[in-house]
Amino acid sequence: MFTQFFGNYLLNKGLVSPECLADALSKQKDTRLKLGVLAINAGIMTAAQVDKVHAEQQKVDKRIGDIMVDMGYATREQIEELFKTQPSGHLLLGQALVDSGYMTNTQFEQALASYKAENGISDADFYDPEENSANKLVRRFYKFRDDSNVTYLTGYITLLFKNLVRFIGDDFTPLDAEYVSDKICHDCIGQKMEGSVKAIAVIDADEDAAIEFASRFSGEKLSANDEYTQACISEFLNLHNGLFAVNVSNQGGGEIKLQPQSFYQTLNLSELENAYVVPFRFSFGTINFIISI
Amino acid sequence: MFENLKVLVCDDSVLVRKQMSKILGSFGITNVEEASDGVQAVDKYAGFMPDIVFMDIVMPEKSGVDALKDIVSLNPAAKVVMASSVGTQGNLKEAIENGAYDFIQKPLTEESVGKILDKIKG
Repeated sequence: MFTQFFGNYLLNKGLVSPECLADALSKQKDTRLKLGVLAINAGIMTAAQVDKVHAEQQKVDKRIGDIMVDMGYATREQIEELFKTQPSGHLLLGQALVDSGYMTNTQFEQALASYKAENGISDADFYDPEENSANKLVRRFYKFRDDSNVTYLTGYITLLFKNLVRFIGDDFTPLDAEYVSDKICHDCIGQKMEGSVKAIAVIDADEDAAIEFASRFSGEKLSANDEYTQACISEFLNLHNGLFAVNVSNQGGGEIKLQPQSFYQTLNLSELENAYVVPFRFSFGTINFIISI
Repeated sequence: MFENLKVLVCDDSVLVRKQMSKILGSFGITNVEEASDGVQAVDKYAGFMPDIVFMDIVMPEKSGVDALKDIVSLNPAAKVVMASSVGTQGNLKEAIENGAYDFIQKPLTEESVGKILDKIKG
């Protein structure tokens, strides 16, 4: 999840273009972490030192870890520790950006440091699998209105991040949510929830993005925005809402009943209360989740 | 082992019905009928008399639980497995109280369906 928020940070600060970010996100899976980025992340070396090591590596036939030790930038033990670092997403994104030439080591170092400082994120947070950490991050990022439903809204979005990664892919960037009252959506799919939590969730996307989203979810190559594509998007929404209902129930929030999904040729968001449009920009287009709880 | 089983898959999602047919096919089951809502499910059950029914809960026309009640009143020994994305204690309890054979959480996988098939074959 930090990967996606870090990506948004880079975008908002103008440090990378949307195209470069999308490209780097799509390359993450094939990216191998290198010692330079690991050393910068761990605070063992500065970007300038890493650049010097890389320059030295052009001249001598030695492994990069040995050069770091020889130049006095790191100890043998530190290098061994770096090799044990888990390849967390934000580092893979940083590595992909550096490898593609979209950022220098120095820019990556500065961006990572300022992102951590501005968001009050510690190194431990990056590796914290606890729900609390994810919830905290979502609440801080989206700045939802502080009303009685903000806990459910935050829980819904936190779970959405996980389900997008699980069922669609991790190559997306969250964009700022918008509180809306007068927007009209066309050709979108929604599902109502009733019971202890009353809500409606809608997926809205342009045709190409809808087809690719459905293709990824179904594991098939779809080519038209037809009923089958809509069925795939509907089922993603149903699965996600179902898991949200399970979470609410497990946390003592009571039972939620899902209604059958509906296709809306036109949906006026003014009919919904407290509706937010929550966009996710994938490499193939933007998927908007409209949530009213 | 499962080749001779007759299975009815009831789900309003064409994607889920397709995926379920594929999963059943991986166990050698080809005698499969489909229904896309609760009304169709009851009609198809009466005509097909399957060994197992996989039943979605949230469906238009008639919900999966209402269809379950009708099927059990037709045949108290019917084996109806409720399949839902909402795997809460409340849904589980309601399904079992109304005569469901078992309950599985979506998304359906070869593993979860396989466990049900093993249970049915004993």
